[in-house]
Amino acid sequence: MSGGGPAAPLRRRRPTGAPWLALQIVLGGSLLLLFVLPIYALFSYAGPAQIASAFRNAAVWQAIDLTLYASGVAVLAAIVLAIPLGYLLARHAFKGRSIVEAIVGLPVVIPHLLVGLGLFLLVIPGSPLFRFTNQIGFPVYDTIWGVVLVMVFVSAPYTVLAADLSFRAIDPRVLEASRSLGAGPATAFLTVSFPLALRGIVAGLLLTWARSVSEIGGILILAYTVYPGGIYGGPVTTTLSVLVYDIFQSGNLAGAAAVSCVFLLIAFALFLTVRFGERVGWVPWRRGELLP
Amino acid sequence: MTHWSVEGLASRLDRFGLGPVDLALEPGRITAVLGASGSGKTTLLRTLAGFVPADRGRLVRDGVDVTDVPPERRGLGYVPQGLGLLPHRTVERNVTYPLEVRGRVDARATVRPLLERFGLTPLAHRYPARLSGGELERVALARALAAEPELVLWDEPWQGLDVEARHELGVVLEELRETEHIPVVLVTHDPTLAFSVADTFVVLRRGAVVFRGDAATLLHRPTDAFVARFVGFENVYDRPTLDAAPAGSLAAWLAARAGPGGIAFPRPIAAVDGSGPVWDGEVRATHPSPEGLSLTARAGPIAVALRRPAPWAPPAPSVGSRLRFVVPEETLHPLGASEGDP
Repeated sequence: MSGGGPAAPLRRRRPTGAPWLALQIVLGGSLLLLFVLPIYALFSYAGPAQIASAFRNAAVWQAIDLTLYASGVAVLAAIVLAIPLGYLLARHAFKGRSIVEAIVGLPVVIPHLLVGLGLFLLVIPGSPLFRFTNQIGFPVYDTIWGVVLVMVFVSAPYTVLAADLSFRAIDPRVLEASRSLGAGPATAFLTVSFPLALRGIVAGLLLTWARSVSEIGGILILAYTVYPGGIYGGPVTTTLSVLVYDIFQSGNLAGAAAVSCVFLLIAFALFLTVRFGERVGWVPWRRGELLP
Repeated sequence: MTHWSVEGLASRLDRFGLGPVDLALEPGRITAVLGASGSGKTTLLRTLAGFVPADRGRLVRDGVDVTDVPPERRGLGYVPQGLGLLPHRTVERNVTYPLEVRGRVDARATVRPLLERFGLTPLAHRYPARLSGGELERVALARALAAEPELVLWDEPWQGLDVEARHELGVVLEELRETEHIPVVLVTHDPTLAFSVADTFVVLRRGAVVFRGDAATLLHRPTDAFVARFVGFENVYDRPTLDAAPAGSLAAWLAARAGPGGIAFPRPIAAVDGSGPVWDGEVRATHPSPEGLSLTARAGPIAVALRRPAPWAPPAPSVGSRLRFVVPEETLHPLGASEGDP
């Protein structure tokens, strides 16, 4: 077409049809509703007064303390144990690698009640492992170690997978260039691999943490009630998830809903903190929106 | 002034075998390693850089065998394909990187003249993702030089550059040759770019060196049909094609002058020019260029690439028209048989 004549008005409508867009909104919206409605039900059933009283309840705070403490230890364990495994899987081709990968994926797919049962059988009073763990000061049955053990079992795979993918995504030529510029293997890891993988690893650690906090199945069997001992010097209590289950079992529906709301508010506050941290640059990669 | 020599170097990556390769890398000289995709160019550079272990042979730096020295202590700057810049570091921190890993505290002050020299000072605080292809190349080169290498290895320097950036890179390489007095090895699949900067040429084919020498030799004495085609000859004919030609044709005339691997010659002028038999062809295609007009004509069983040098006046000869030409005998290159060819 040549440039002559009056310009046709610009069409701003998308070329795709409105029915197609409507279908996406209806289907996607239904799922969002499914996510939101149960949470709405919890808040509306509990009511502000019950939630406020749950916030003032010492037993609730003891459970919150234990849950945050144990999940924090689980995240530390993931940092120490899961990142090296992810790096190993990303960097080395070896026989039986697919078997190792399948084992890493196992905790994600098996029901967590089974995890608890399996761990329980392993450390059942009288078993060799029971005597051993008690001797070295890591008794697991009804202790914080039991909680941490279950949490690590069910949640560490997320960090392993995230680390594996993040390390794998690094262009090997960037590493070779840095080696050639004078960095030994360890220096190249610290200055290139780790910083470049950090964002993905942190995302994996957040999932590990979230999964730890929300765990209940395995804990119900291995450490229903947590007694002081080892690294935990607090009062006899349960994790927050078990506490909600306990109150629900006792028939106090409003109380269970109120504690659930406390749980949700704390999780939501932490989520917002991370998001806000990203925005204002507490984390090293915000400048790195430039990362590939 | 460091002298490097590559002596019978051979390596193996997966099922691909490279070498043996022999090279002398002299200060201030640029060596271009040419070859098609998969010919082993990158494997050669990575073997020299220490990322692919050598099975046989040696890499010698000033008389010292460095074949088994780890990459970080070889004293060479390897610029991989895609440049290998650190995406999480600014331009300045990319260039200071080699000094930082050596524990130098004055890294920023040390690289200031380098940034200035490569025009990177205004870009010092930008991240690689925000730079153009030409700017990225300059960062990679500045960073390699910050390590004070005694040999620079550069894989596909021209990759992804537009015409202007290619020209700029040529200027930078020329300057590098004059000021740094270090040997440079470039790897490229495009010989025309290499001709503009390199002094020595190595042609690799399926991991083996099939040519080593200067540009004049490479262009005037192509060793076999592969090298001839690779360096840009368009009139390359193998023996079976020529031998099948009817008597009295151009192909039969060429057959009488061909080597065991056939014959190659540059585009003859598309007019009766010079002495010798005059041939007749039918125009099949014409392509104008700044250097003149390129034509393809059919002469019996073979197609011949011809040229009409600038200035030529349009219109170009029409397709289907006939033209007459002479193939000067002194431009013919009899070719040896290619190794590994049937």
